Amino acid sequence: MTRPLLRVAALSKRFGGTQALKDVDLEVAPGEIHALIGPNGSGKSTLIKILAGYHHADPGAVAELDGEPFDLSQVAASRHDRLRFVHQELGLVGELSATDNLALSRGFARTAFGNIRWPEMERRTTALVERFGLAIDVRRPLALASPVQRAVVAIAAALQGWEGRRGVLVLDEPTAVLPPGEVARLFDIVREIRDTGAGVLYVSHRMDEIFALADRVTVIRGGRRIATLPVAGLTPRSLAELMAGEEMETDHRPASAPGPSEAVLEVRDLWAGPLRGIDFDLARGERLGITGLVGSGHEIVPYAVCGAHTGPVRGRLRLPERSERWVDARDADSLGLPLVPADRAGEGVIGDFSVGENLTLPLLDRLRARVGRLHRGREGALAEEWIERVGVRTAGRGARITTLSGGNQQKVVMARCLAQRPPVLMLCEPTAGVDIGTRLQLYDLIERQADEGMGVIVSSSDTQDLLALCNRVLVVRDGRVVREIGGRDITEPALVHAMEGT
Amino acid sequence: MTSTPTRARPAAPPEPDRPAPALGAWGRRTAAALSFRNIGAVYVWLVIVVLFSVWVPETFPTAITVKQVLNGNAVAGLVALSVVLPLAARVFDLSVAFIMSLTSVLTAYFMVSTGLGPGAAIALAMTAALLIGVVNGIVVVVLRVDSFIATLATGALIQSLITMVTNDSSITGVQLLAKPFASIAQLDAGGITLPVLYLLLAASAIWFLLEHTASGRRLYATGFNADAARLQGVRTDRLRFLTLVASALLSGFAGIVFASSVGSGSPTAGTPYLLSAYAAAFVGATQLRAGRFNAWGTVLAVLLLGTGITGLGLATSAQWAASLFTGSVLIVALVLTGGRIALPTVLRRRKSPPAEPVTTPDKEIS
Repeated sequence: MTRPLLRVAALSKRFGGTQALKDVDLEVAPGEIHALIGPNGSGKSTLIKILAGYHHADPGAVAELDGEPFDLSQVAASRHDRLRFVHQELGLVGELSATDNLALSRGFARTAFGNIRWPEMERRTTALVERFGLAIDVRRPLALASPVQRAVVAIAAALQGWEGRRGVLVLDEPTAVLPPGEVARLFDIVREIRDTGAGVLYVSHRMDEIFALADRVTVIRGGRRIATLPVAGLTPRSLAELMAGEEMETDHRPASAPGPSEAVLEVRDLWAGPLRGIDFDLARGERLGITGLVGSGHEIVPYAVCGAHTGPVRGRLRLPERSERWVDARDADSLGLPLVPADRAGEGVIGDFSVGENLTLPLLDRLRARVGRLHRGREGALAEEWIERVGVRTAGRGARITTLSGGNQQKVVMARCLAQRPPVLMLCEPTAGVDIGTRLQLYDLIERQADEGMGVIVSSSDTQDLLALCNRVLVVRDGRVVREIGGRDITEPALVHAMEGT
Repeated sequence: MTSTPTRARPAAPPEPDRPAPALGAWGRRTAAALSFRNIGAVYVWLVIVVLFSVWVPETFPTAITVKQVLNGNAVAGLVALSVVLPLAARVFDLSVAFIMSLTSVLTAYFMVSTGLGPGAAIALAMTAALLIGVVNGIVVVVLRVDSFIATLATGALIQSLITMVTNDSSITGVQLLAKPFASIAQLDAGGITLPVLYLLLAASAIWFLLEHTASGRRLYATGFNADAARLQGVRTDRLRFLTLVASALLSGFAGIVFASSVGSGSPTAGTPYLLSAYAAAFVGATQLRAGRFNAWGTVLAVLLLGTGITGLGLATSAQWAASLFTGSVLIVALVLTGGRIALPTVLRRRKSPPAEPVTTPDKEIS
């Protein structure tokens, strides 16, 4: 093989007691699309952040671009002029035009008086984006452009000023914000960049993208490089096994779907955000997955069912065990179903509260003593009981919640939902940002609740969660349930195909 | 200073599964309670007292000074307490100063110009305060205007109302100086006047509410993370609305006490109290329950500021010294809370935790 364009060796990174990356090697050849794949929490975003100069690597790491060594051990604004990044959120300013956004990274052309030469700027921008076969008004605010147009502007911004030279473009989950129909266009653009002899490092956790696009793939899991292989020799199954690891496959697979059983939750004709009429029943002890691509609407289902969706909602639901009456979805909060929200820091925990205060917040009415006083003794006992039950690792219930790891914070959020003894537990992206070990504990915990008869809804875009947890999965596309997959048929390829509609 | 050698977390109760000797636990808790981190203002206050006792030994360390500090700061304390509840829910009520002016003016107006008795005049003035609280609530909570700007705007409206009533001159009259009304602020026991009692009562009530009731916990939850609180069934809008009503009522009451103590209705009675109220509330939030706006911390801060200003008044005749002192204390306190860290931690220079909470290790806490 020719000399690699980008070479990283022995890259390790520790955050406190957590080994985020351990001796990772990575090589990107010229004219290659090299995929970096791994489940959430595997360390791939840490790797990208180190390359981007956001974190520094632990001593001992080696990095070269086209044979030139560069330093990873310092935090820096940029590592190397020919190492360019398009981050997941694209890093664009929506209020500004394409021209302005491109100028933010490379500066404005000015006259001798210092005023901006707009015609030249606009010509330059147009030329850049036209390379990718894109015709947009370079003066319009980007917020008005389509997602793929924004993605292209972000790529154009990243590639400014490297024309004719060989560099490496790093794309961090660029399709996360794209509607499925536009992914193919983005792929064409990425291939075009490769064909100029550049290297592309393509980060994803979506297997289908790897097969569609990449030449080689590096799988990382638990902070270690598991394998680097040519994509041509892989099957979806073998790649899934590499990604998931054996233990996930065997230990966490629901043995079988529960037999026909009475429903604990019935949802009819639910409209909210992109959702266009969803019906489903949830049986006692069932673990129902709801999934889809970002924006499909699957992530809204739990919010709508527990009455936390901000925006118009329509539909009806009922808890047959509690009452025969149907409840309008607009009054869904009256059912009081608890939710483990997707955004733990923003909606889940109250960072300034202690572990105990976070745990008991929805249970305070139960802890009333006389004259409305909060019974501190009972509150403490309740908190201790649940810390023990779900196995939260904390210095004590008085410790501030933000001193806990993401996984342990998630346990606290789950515990306070479970303490309400709900008939149904709803979880959104329950393992986002949770390390592998804690993830398995969370799976266990959820499974135990279901075995005791609780209905569980897991809305997740992480197929790992669905594979490990669910008896049945509803796949949502464009606001409707397009597939229902049950039991043994829940496989990574089946899920991905249903999500993409291929 | 905290005596725990390992971790800077004095708020944490001793672990149940590791029973320390009873005296050890008690000692640790006492040490935590008396730490600079917890009650730094008390130590600063002691330093100030010693400083002025040395500087002006004839006039400062006297019973008169004690009375002056207490009596002279009771109204300021009431106004400061009135902003504690909204602040706990992250709502700014800047109209409190104007509400205070309004009730002082209205009470005087009803008693002097329309001849109502003190009871009726006070009831009408408090009704006005209540209405303004409701208006604030509607603008901030229902119409969703940022509270900082919204209450500044309603403050301007109130000031225009005051000008309508008073033509911008104080309302005076014998009725205001006579017995039943004057007693509200001037009745005293051993030189300590009634407003000091009001202050203690208001502080006790707010302390009980914030520390010992579910509503208090929910108020803090609303202030810290309204989205998360709402998902946990906390009715954040209702709470924020009610804090604005509460602050209007308490600052309105402060206005009446003020009118009674000076014997007139002044159109600008409240304005000088606005800055000191927020200064005390923010300094108070660094005390006792660090990071949380709380009643006794605020009272402590009022006394600290009051003592310093009184001492400066006795030691120098410089007019500018009082504001200089208030401003300096406020900045120092805000720097200490801004980073949500108390002094000893800063001095210890612990390494900050990693930027990503995602990768915060489990081991760190076990």
